[in-house]
Amino acid sequence: MDNKKAEAAVGHNIEPALTGEKEILEAELLFANKELAFQDVEIESRAAELIIANKELVYQNEEKEKRAAELFIANKELVFQNEEKEKRAAELIVANKELAFQNEEKEKRAAELVVANRELAYQNEEKEKRAAELIIANNELAFQNEEKEKRAAELSLANQELKTAQDAIRKLNDELEQKVIQRTTQLETANKELGSFSYSVSHDLRAPIRAINGYTKILEEDYADKLDSSGLAILHSILRNSTKMGNLIDDLLAFSKLGRKEVTHCAIDMNELVRLVKDELLFETGENIPEYIMIDLPDARGDQSLIKQVWINLISNAIKYSKHKKHTSIEIGGFLKDGKIVYYVKDQGAGFDMQYYDKLFGVFQRLHSQEEFDGTGIGLAIVEKIVRRHNGNVWAESTVNEGACFYFSLPVIDVEKSY
Amino acid sequence: MNYDNVEILFVEDSADDAMLTIRALGKSGFTNKLLHVKDGTEAIDFLYCKGIYTTRNSKTQPRLILLDLKMPKVSGMQVLEKVKSDPDLKSIPVVILTSSSEDPDIARCYALGANSYIVKPVESDNFFNAIKEIGLYWMVLSQSDNL
Repeated sequence: MDNKKAEAAVGHNIEPALTGEKEILEAELLFANKELAFQDVEIESRAAELIIANKELVYQNEEKEKRAAELFIANKELVFQNEEKEKRAAELIVANKELAFQNEEKEKRAAELVVANRELAYQNEEKEKRAAELIIANNELAFQNEEKEKRAAELSLANQELKTAQDAIRKLNDELEQKVIQRTTQLETANKELGSFSYSVSHDLRAPIRAINGYTKILEEDYADKLDSSGLAILHSILRNSTKMGNLIDDLLAFSKLGRKEVTHCAIDMNELVRLVKDELLFETGENIPEYIMIDLPDARGDQSLIKQVWINLISNAIKYSKHKKHTSIEIGGFLKDGKIVYYVKDQGAGFDMQYYDKLFGVFQRLHSQEEFDGTGIGLAIVEKIVRRHNGNVWAESTVNEGACFYFSLPVIDVEKSY
Repeated sequence: MNYDNVEILFVEDSADDAMLTIRALGKSGFTNKLLHVKDGTEAIDFLYCKGIYTTRNSKTQPRLILLDLKMPKVSGMQVLEKVKSDPDLKSIPVVILTSSSEDPDIARCYALGANSYIVKPVESDNFFNAIKEIGLYWMVLSQSDNL
């Protein structure tokens, strides 16, 4: 570069030299020469310096390359370390999270423990209270136990007394049972005796009466023309009386049979039974046909044939004792009263004097004369006996010449219990 | 009496009852063929042709036996038992006559095969009618059996 500059300067100086300025030019050339020589020296020193500098630069370059290599290695090392650090950082983040989670869990657990602790504390208090109560209860039990032991001792004593009493009762019971067996046997014997007595009575009493009645009848049939009117009247009296005696014996036997007859229980359609009784009644010519007022009858349980006899007797009586009235009106009804079924037969007949009420249901007791109303006086006794055997009652009320009302009651029988 | 013509054998110890019964049966026209024996022994003798009845023809038997129950020695029940257990005699109708409906033997009589029983009524009209009717009934019935 310095050379090029020098050439440019020369060319410029040639132009003014045309006018004679060769000397200046020469001086200048000289100078320039000198200058150039100097510059050359300078360049050479500069080159030397440059070489040195170059060497220095090369050295420096080498140093720099060494340093770069070192840096490169260091860089790799740093990269590696960096990666390690990043890995470690990631691990730390994970570990951190884990710790944070564990921390939360521990806090929760701690909170729970606090709660549990309180609960335990509460329970502890309760247990202490309970223990206190138990101690009280225990004392109470101990007291009661003592009382019970006392009581047990008393009971033991009472038990012994009871056992003694029981033994006595058992002994009495055994004796009683023996007595019952004995009495039952006696009763059975008496019953059998009564049965054979009834048979004898009916057999042995009936036979002679039958003979009296039969022979009198023959007398009447075969010898009527040989007797006058008073003789015939006597024959009629004998016939009537012997017939009545036969009836009395039959009634008495029927009555005594009632006491021995087993009473059975079955459902009775009372309306139907009374209808049957009314239908079976026989009337003689000229007799009043009764006018019935029927009130619906409750059903009952009992011995149908016996209860039928009760209705027959009561209705027949109502008809019989109404025979002197113009009309016969009979009311038949029933109702429930005080847990019993009550039936009644009410007539407007002769009635009876309540003064003699106690004789009304007696055997062979009559409140009317034979001439007024015939009968043996057994009908109401039979009614009473049948009703009594059904655990019922009979009663009556009357006003003389206005009529009578006869009642009988039967218990309401629970079918479930009786079967 | 010709014992081979007997249609009704009447066994009755009571003379009174016998008299009344025979009178009742007489009204039905049966008495001429009726034999009255006074106890069970005689009834058995008649039926088996023994004693005073040895000459009787055993082929002909009565068509009806009227039998009183209460008799001395052999009772009506014993006669009934014998008759009803004999194959040759058991077809003869036997009507039991008793004085009482209380008679404990009535049920047993039926069990032994008695055909009917009559409780002799006290009242004479009833008595006559009962005997008449039962006699008529069984005589007519046994007659139709034989035809």
